[in-house]
Amino acid sequence: MFIFMIVFVGIQFIPTTPNQQEDLLQSNFMNSYKVPQEIQQVLKNSCFDCHSNNTNYPWYNRIQPISWFLEQHIKKGKNDLNFDEFESYSIRKQKNKLKSIANQIEENKMPLFSYTLIHKNSKLTEVEKVKLIDWLYKKQDSINNNIK
Amino acid sequence: MKNLVKYMVVITVISVFTGCKSELKEKNSTETTTEVQAVENTNLNADISKTALLNNFIDSYLVLKNALVNDSEKEAAEAAKLMIIAIDNFDKRLLTDAEKTLFLEIEGTSKEHAEHIVKSDLNHQREHFQLLSEDLIELVDILGTTKTFYSVYCPMYKKKGAFWLSEIQEIKNPYFGSKMLTCGEVKSQIN
Repeated sequence: MFIFMIVFVGIQFIPTTPNQQEDLLQSNFMNSYKVPQEIQQVLKNSCFDCHSNNTNYPWYNRIQPISWFLEQHIKKGKNDLNFDEFESYSIRKQKNKLKSIANQIEENKMPLFSYTLIHKNSKLTEVEKVKLIDWLYKKQDSINNNIK
Repeated sequence: MKNLVKYMVVITVISVFTGCKSELKEKNSTETTTEVQAVENTNLNADISKTALLNNFIDSYLVLKNALVNDSEKEAAEAAKLMIIAIDNFDKRLLTDAEKTLFLEIEGTSKEHAEHIVKSDLNHQREHFQLLSEDLIELVDILGTTKTFYSVYCPMYKKKGAFWLSEIQEIKNPYFGSKMLTCGEVKSQIN
C-alpha cells in the first residue's frame, strides 16, 4: 500500500504536453468545408477532443496516469485524422478520410465507447448519425465534382 | 508439454515468415530478370519496362485480396506487411513528373491503408481494401501492367458498391468472402 502511494505520487511528476493551440479562432475546416451549424456542433462535441489541435481537458486530466492515457488517445487520434490539418491532405486522402469517418460512425466504432462513457453528450443520437453520414457522403460527391 | 507447444508455435511462426519472405524474394528476382530483359531489348522504349514496375505492388495486393476472399484476417495482415515493403521498394526513376506526383499521393494513402489492415479486424480490413483498390486501379490505368487483370464490381458493398482488381475472371468476392462469394461482375479488362 505504501509503495503504491509512493508510485502514485511519483508519477504525478511525469510531464505531458497539452493539446492546445491558443491562436486558433475558428477552425479552418468549418469555414473551408462550409460545415452546417448542426454538423459543427456534432463534430465539436464528439470528435474534436481527439481529432483536432484543441482538446477540452477535463479536471481529472491533471492526475496521472489519466493524463498519460489521454495523451496516447489524442496522439493516435490526431495521427489518424486531424480536422485542423484536413486542408493540407491531398484530395485523394481527403476523400479517403471522409469515407473512413462515415464507415466508423455507421459501425458505432467512433466516437470511442470509453470516451462517450465519460462524456455523455458526445454520444451520437441516431438522428445525428444519419445527418453526419449524409453530409459526409455529400462532401465526397462535391469533392469528386471539384467543389468544396 | 507447455514448452513443447511454445516451441512448436515459434517454429511455425518462423517458417511462415521465412516462407513468405522467400516467396517474395523469388517473385522479386523473376520480376527483376523480366525487367532487365525488357530494357535490354533496345527496340522497346521506356514505356514497356514501366509496365513491370507495379508487379510487386499488385502481387502483394492479390495476396491480400485472396486472404479476404478466404475470410482470413491473419493472412490479410501478413499480406499488408508485404505490400508496405513492395511500395517502399517501388522504383520511381522511370516515371514522368506527372506520374511521380500521382504515385507519391497513392503511395501515402496506400501505405496508410496497409498499416491499418495490419492491425484491424476483418470488417475494417475490407473497408480499407475498398479504398486501396480504387487507388491501385487508378495507378494501373496510368502505368499499365505486364499481365491481364480485371476490374470487378460488387454492387452490394456499402452504399455505392466497391471495386477490386482480379487476376482471374471467375468471381471470388473479397468484400463478403464465403458469405457471398460469387457476387460481382467484371466491368473491364486491363491489358
